[in-house]
Amino acid sequence: MSPGGKTSAVLAGLSAIFVALAAGFLLDLRGPAALLYPIPLVATNFLDTATVRRSYADLVRAGDDLSDFDCYVCHEKGKPPKLRFDADEHLIVPTEHSDIVMGHGSHGRNNNCFNCHNENNLELLQTRDGHEVKFADSPALCGSCHGPTYRDWEAGAHGRISGYWDRDLGEAQRKACVNCHNPHSPRFPSRQPAPGPHLLRPAAAGTSSGGTPARLGNEWVSRVGRDSWRAAAKTNLGDLAREDQSSSDFDLTGARPTGAVVELTRNPSR
Amino acid sequence: MPTPDPNLNPDPARAGAAVTRRSFLRTSAVLTTGLAALAASLKPLLEMNDFPTAERFLQKYYKEMTPDDMAKVIKRIENEVEHQYGIRPHVRDLKPMDGVEFVYCLNLTRCIGCRKCVHACVAENNQSRNPEIQYIRVLRLPHGSLDIEKAEHNYAPESVPEKGYFYMPVQCQQCKNPPCVKVCPVHATWQETDGITVIDYDWCIGCRYCEAACPYWARRFNFTQPSIPKERLNPEMSYLGNRPRRQGVMEKCHFCIQRTRAGRYPACLEVCPAGARKFGNILDPNSEVSYILKNKRVFIQLKEEMGTSPRFFYYFDV
Repeated sequence: MSPGGKTSAVLAGLSAIFVALAAGFLLDLRGPAALLYPIPLVATNFLDTATVRRSYADLVRAGDDLSDFDCYVCHEKGKPPKLRFDADEHLIVPTEHSDIVMGHGSHGRNNNCFNCHNENNLELLQTRDGHEVKFADSPALCGSCHGPTYRDWEAGAHGRISGYWDRDLGEAQRKACVNCHNPHSPRFPSRQPAPGPHLLRPAAAGTSSGGTPARLGNEWVSRVGRDSWRAAAKTNLGDLAREDQSSSDFDLTGARPTGAVVELTRNPSR
Repeated sequence: MPTPDPNLNPDPARAGAAVTRRSFLRTSAVLTTGLAALAASLKPLLEMNDFPTAERFLQKYYKEMTPDDMAKVIKRIENEVEHQYGIRPHVRDLKPMDGVEFVYCLNLTRCIGCRKCVHACVAENNQSRNPEIQYIRVLRLPHGSLDIEKAEHNYAPESVPEKGYFYMPVQCQQCKNPPCVKVCPVHATWQETDGITVIDYDWCIGCRYCEAACPYWARRFNFTQPSIPKERLNPEMSYLGNRPRRQGVMEKCHFCIQRTRAGRYPACLEVCPAGARKFGNILDPNSEVSYILKNKRVFIQLKEEMGTSPRFFYYFDV
């Protein structure tokens, strides 16, 4: 073959490839674009910055019900309440206080209300060495036993702080021990975790140890041709609007053109 | 039959000099093919829904902007956001403070793996909800090991913490020696004097080199136009921080620059129910982070051996 013939052959070959590619692009032979599966918005309780519990000081500040701290509605002033113990020397929690679970420490020595409460004045607390402490100042009582943790708390290394790190620009609120720990049963409570990252394709969920297909729900749509949903969208826009409101709380209005809303929230196979 | 004029019938070897039937056909075939291919390759542009305005296209590099330029840019961003979401945002460009270097400390003993930080971050920083972009990834690791290979981030139990596991949230470590900054071909990401590595979203070309360079998987790419529901948009924004991004740019944790440069704590710290997250100015000897680094068992900077020198420290109680 002459050099000119070779060039022609290469050119013809390249032309054929380009024509095929161009046709492929124009006719969308690449296949339909993958749809995004609807992801429900995270529940707002996971965005809540409130502490696990409310301290006495919080209740006072908010002007809320303080009847739990009004001891002398039931108890008699000047007459220390009697404690009762069972055969194993365990404190019997009276029915009036049945909401209290005695679980402070695993050593069994916190088996007595008056380790912390003042028996002579129930509206006060007391340290083991007899210092009286107000309910609003309870961290000092906790610190009388938990020294190192108290030191960390004072320095801000333990516990919650919110507000301003720059104290010149604003205040920081340091939360008290009882904002997170129930003094009668101080272990930090376990809770439901917020949803983890959603997998791009539910099919992959089966292979992951944590994400289960059940969690993803059955409204997750399958790969469907772009043109077919476009055509369907034109005919059923009214239906879709209703469906969108009921089946998905995910509103994309403004973030994308209307077509994309349909793309993301609608199940075209229905 | 007259002899043809040599000038009218050129030598085939010099065919380019004049148009013959054959060369015309060949050239037009090649040209048509080329044009068709070009048209086909440009077709995706027709589907583009975020074509840059002249204003945005001609915008200067962040570091070269005068305060006047910045005021104009902020106005443009506010208009764009208002047009898109129907909410007038408050966009600021907060500068680093003097004598401040931010450090983050995370107490691994306290973290219960509830992922509240992940979602508080998404809400604060206007991240895309679908596809999901999250700056924080909470790893669950079995007790007795810090082997990241054994980590799992899709855990979904009824309640946390689970027996036998601890949790390690990973986000941008704000390295002192950031590999992501080194690889950026257009200097769209850099380290500020307060230690925050920032991104100019309008300068980023979306090459994703930084994503590949980051040893902490901390950078996220907007593969599609991000989608944020109107009612969840945070209107308190900053230029280098949480203003809405567009398709084709990188983003990552910036220590909530719009909060921290105004003196406030980051959103992930505010929401942490266990108080595991600590943040502050390391140059202030009385700050919480200074106390932690001095007194607590701070024993890892994640992937310390990489030489990245993170400003993110993991510590333990006891």
